[in-house]
Amino acid sequence: MSGSTIKVIIGPQHPALKEPERFILETEGEHVVDVRVRIGYIHRGIEKAMENRTYLQGLYLSERVCGICSDAHTTCYVQGVEELLGIEPPPRSRFIRVVVAELERIHSHLLWLGIAAHEIGFDTLFMYVWRDREVVMDLLEIVSGNRVNYATNTIGGVRRDLNDERIHKILKGLKVLEDRTKEYLKMIGKEQTVLKRTVDVGILSKSDAIKYGAVGPTVRASGVKRDVRADDPYAAYDEIPFNVIVEDGCDCFARIMVRGREVVESIHIIREALKRMPDGEIRVRVKPRIPPAEALSRVEAPRGELLYYIRSNGTDKPERCKIRTPTLANIPSLCKMLVGGYIADVPIVLAGIDPCFACMDRVLVIDKEKREAKVWTLDMLRRYGREWYRKR
Amino acid sequence: MGKEEEILERIKERFGDKVKNMAVKRLRRIFAETDAKDLKEVLRYARDELGFDHISTITGEDLGEEMRLIYHIAYRNAIELSIKTKIPKEDPKITTIVDLYPSAGIYEREVHDLLGVVFEGNPDLSRLLLPDNWPEGVYPLRKDVSLEEIREILEKGGERR
Repeated sequence: MSGSTIKVIIGPQHPALKEPERFILETEGEHVVDVRVRIGYIHRGIEKAMENRTYLQGLYLSERVCGICSDAHTTCYVQGVEELLGIEPPPRSRFIRVVVAELERIHSHLLWLGIAAHEIGFDTLFMYVWRDREVVMDLLEIVSGNRVNYATNTIGGVRRDLNDERIHKILKGLKVLEDRTKEYLKMIGKEQTVLKRTVDVGILSKSDAIKYGAVGPTVRASGVKRDVRADDPYAAYDEIPFNVIVEDGCDCFARIMVRGREVVESIHIIREALKRMPDGEIRVRVKPRIPPAEALSRVEAPRGELLYYIRSNGTDKPERCKIRTPTLANIPSLCKMLVGGYIADVPIVLAGIDPCFACMDRVLVIDKEKREAKVWTLDMLRRYGREWYRKR
Repeated sequence: MGKEEEILERIKERFGDKVKNMAVKRLRRIFAETDAKDLKEVLRYARDELGFDHISTITGEDLGEEMRLIYHIAYRNAIELSIKTKIPKEDPKITTIVDLYPSAGIYEREVHDLLGVVFEGNPDLSRLLLPDNWPEGVYPLRKDVSLEEIREILEKGGERR
């Protein structure tokens, strides 16, 4: 190359989606040589808003940090507040938290699997997976009354109990999900469309995964056994035996397999939770004022380690509530994966960490030498990727 | 002796009075304080000798006269060690830790953006979260910036320039 690089700007946003990000890719021919990130296009200032609202109002805000993993956020938040209060939620509520958290994980992972298939041009799989995802969406509605924003957690327990009828429906739905997911896993491992586009694509070595602080399925797909549910158990995870899913591929294919296998594991966790769930109360009443204290709460959201640091000051409002979402933690690793890869692989590598990638609806291609700018949509980039692979 | 106490002992042995108010808050949660000048040395020891190779995040807090930074680091036994340090609010500067934890770069950018802390040596402290037309020197997570003020800035910023 003559040393001329071309800037490809991806993003920032589609206003309907959360977490838009902007990636400025420095490219040389077909290779990405550098990446810069700019996020915050829908930064809503929730941390500041929480300081000005009561703990109970904060619960509703935390539910709305993320649309896909809202339950992970409220779980993390209420656990932090419960620690500040020095109370333990009733045992039954801790099992219900596990059930909803795992249903959410299944829905999030299946959603992701569909999108990943779409990114590589495998729309048949996308349609099938999303059809089956409806099963888990229905289960979440049965359990919580809502398809999204389940409003299950509250400070001191959960708001809705599980009765025999609901449990029966969950078990019935899980069987369908299990059969379908196992079928997909079997198919994906042999399907050339998937293998050609994902094997050895977006490499993140084990040492880099640790070095760049990757979390969740991203770090587990690089052979690092880290899962908050197992390492730092919360809710009822310490009473349920389960496996931490790890793959050694370090590529996009490994990320698909980790999430697919985690769906199966989540189904197993829910069955165990329902089996072991004790009878009893589902919540304890709490006082609105909280004595000065601090708490660090961690949960394993579908995308990885989610962290809340909450400090109380004796009033009914927190002094500070810090939130660290898993996508932010995976951004440095994502930059690492993109560098050295092909432009055509950008969509699937971006999708690989399961960010809210769909926000990146617009792509701007600037030729530095000619000073020309072309606006691309992510759809165009996607098509470019498929065409490029077809010609190869 | 639990694993938490063991870590506590080792830090105490190595740093003595440099690390203060160290306590195991509960299972897998250790909090400690240190001066800004000793922070990096403590972090390096924790990373290299105690296995804390993952940084969860950096929390920034406005305490009125001072700014407090909390470095949450983790792994090996999933113990979360939170090291606090204070810096003056008039001159909120601290040395970067990107050379120890490359992933801390993005957290430093966040704290810089929202609280105005300058991480000396961080190669990229550009805007991360706030809008491009956000006024210089206004840090929304500081306690002296009210919600009304933020709302006003956002309303003005919404106009076409």
